[in-house]
Amino acid sequence: MMKKVLVVILTLALTISLVACSSKGTKEPTSENGTTKEQTDVEKSEDVADPVTIKVFSNLPDRTSGQGFVEQTLFDAYMDENTNVTIEVETLDDEAYKTKFKAYAAGSKMPDLVSVWGQPGFIDEVIDAGILEPLHEEDYKEYGFINGSLDGFSKDGVIFGLPRNTDVLAFYYNQKMFQDHGWTVPQTYDELLTLADKINAEDIIPVAMDGGDKWPLYIFITDLMMKIDGSGILDKVKTAITNKDFSDPTFMQAADLLYESAQRDLFEIGFETTDYGTAQNLFTNAQSAMYYMGSWDMSMATNQDIPAEIRDNIRVFTMPVIQGGKATATDITAWNGGGYSITSSGAQKEEARKLLNYMFKPEGWTKLAWENGVCMSAQDFAQFETGNETEIQKQFMQIVKTSTNISGSPLGDLGTTEFKTVTEDSVQDLSIGKITSEEFLTGLENVYK
Amino acid sequence: MHKAYSNKLVILSLVLPGILTFVFAVLAPICLSVYYALTDFSGLGDYNFIGGTNFIELIHDTNFWLSLRNSLLLAAGFILIQHPLAIITAAILDRLGKHAEGFFRCVYFLPNVISVAIIAYLWKFIYNPSFGLLNNVIEIFGGKGEVNMLGTGTAIWAVLVVLIWHGFGWGMLIYYTGIKNIDPTLYEAASIDGADNKISFLRITLPLMKPVIQVNVTLAVITALKQMETVYLLTNGGPGNETQFMANYLYKQAFSSFKYGYGNSISVAFVSICILSTIILNRIFKEKAEA
Repeated sequence: MMKKVLVVILTLALTISLVACSSKGTKEPTSENGTTKEQTDVEKSEDVADPVTIKVFSNLPDRTSGQGFVEQTLFDAYMDENTNVTIEVETLDDEAYKTKFKAYAAGSKMPDLVSVWGQPGFIDEVIDAGILEPLHEEDYKEYGFINGSLDGFSKDGVIFGLPRNTDVLAFYYNQKMFQDHGWTVPQTYDELLTLADKINAEDIIPVAMDGGDKWPLYIFITDLMMKIDGSGILDKVKTAITNKDFSDPTFMQAADLLYESAQRDLFEIGFETTDYGTAQNLFTNAQSAMYYMGSWDMSMATNQDIPAEIRDNIRVFTMPVIQGGKATATDITAWNGGGYSITSSGAQKEEARKLLNYMFKPEGWTKLAWENGVCMSAQDFAQFETGNETEIQKQFMQIVKTSTNISGSPLGDLGTTEFKTVTEDSVQDLSIGKITSEEFLTGLENVYK
Repeated sequence: MHKAYSNKLVILSLVLPGILTFVFAVLAPICLSVYYALTDFSGLGDYNFIGGTNFIELIHDTNFWLSLRNSLLLAAGFILIQHPLAIITAAILDRLGKHAEGFFRCVYFLPNVISVAIIAYLWKFIYNPSFGLLNNVIEIFGGKGEVNMLGTGTAIWAVLVVLIWHGFGWGMLIYYTGIKNIDPTLYEAASIDGADNKISFLRITLPLMKPVIQVNVTLAVITALKQMETVYLLTNGGPGNETQFMANYLYKQAFSSFKYGYGNSISVAFVSICILSTIILNRIFKEKAEA
């Protein structure tokens, strides 16, 4: 008897659990945004616009400052103007973002609007996999995108994304510290190294370098290549990748120069393990005189967490010319990196397109980003000059205005993702002397062999 | 009740959830991993079946062998440094008496309740050559204070120190629990026979702790092979690949280099090595037990 009771109880438990698991399938069919068909019908009958939920996947986790703040402000404004629209934002830091992006891509449904990088190392594979939805070029004729800024986001003449920034690489320096010690801004690379010796003699770090993340090092070596070779560096790297041949003297000279610079203590001790935040802190705590980073860090000048004495004295200069190099002082290392795309498998493609177009109206991202001193957009931002810009903003604007050539994407971003990781590892190894310049270049060639 | 448990339907309903969990959460992913290891899948788009190419590449991949060496080095560190210290500490704690015993037990276990992310950043700051605690201490003692422990040459040892320190509490707690289960009358009898602490430890504690040591050593080896989070946050395998560990290398290949197929071949090798290590350790302990 007991046995039968137990069998009945267990069978019942199993049945209940199975029914519970399958209950989802017996419900009224639901729409993408979770509302039931019945609800939708009622709303339709009341002649109210259908509720829309746009899912955004962004690489800007900080929603209260910097670019994340600008992005969120635009989303909030869009939702205010379109009351039926809800924007759900999921954010992750760059590396985690790329990993999850891939996990999303492996599934059948992606968020509607995603962050992308207009560099071959990222976007080529994504476009080839059919993940991104083509954009309509004619939509952006009046948007004032800087010439060439859409190139990285295009393939075979079709645009797949819009760039967010114009990124310029520079040395941030502490003007007051320079004046107090009688240092001057170096005009040549030799002067920079001589200056580094003087700064080291004062027990101060010359340049704070985020070598732990590795990518700033391959940007630095790209900067050196740009100054050695001038305008043709982008094509030269692309050709080297295609031909699996990095024997051009420019590469060797740049590699040697990076190694020599690190050996002469241009960077802090342990730069190869210093992360982004620590490198920035070394500079903003006056432990270093300079800090090598992109224009996206110009918001340091408005960051209230940085002491005013330092914040107000931050200035920038670009990589000085290299003796014997072809580039002039106005040939700069810059590109249009991060941006946005609409996904082809997103549930709200057209709504996402409307949102994207709204964000990139000149009075949208460009104006907000410039007015908040966050970054320079990839559109004509000069029209929004207010006269209240920070000194760094003015300097960066001048650098861009007077630039005669720009480098395009840095070395590591011009190949496959494997090329990127190999470049990252080997440039770090080169800078700490674990491998020679020859081994560094052979390593790059071997990725494609 | 006995009859109910001998009913095949009842047995099946009780065992089925476990079997299904194992099949779908362990077996199926392993099989899928073997399948993808035979492809050139990048994680996006189409892929081709390339046979054993990934495994051939793996055999010639110096970074893979380096990461395996580092994992085994960590396992050796656990067995030869962490566990002897843990068992001695546990034995001392057992003799300390009530208040001190509880206090030190908590202190030694404290690192284990702190998040791995905090531990990694804590040590990053301790090791930092520009403002780290280590260099400040060195300066106090008249040194130059420019030691870069996470730099080339010393990074692997610096990482091992962190990992051994961090896992110490668990080992100690398990040994401590084992020691507490030893009948105290054995120590009393030994004491009457004139045995001092050292002899009691060697002749009573250690032999009776054998099953606990076996479990702990096996867990230590598996933990060493699986090591990922602390290394990822502390050095991410750098400088270069000097502090690369197997799990971290797998992650790097699959998700940073987008070599998903190759990453899976590493995971197949990884699972095989873990299973092999467990079998070898079980054999060793079994032989010793029989002897």
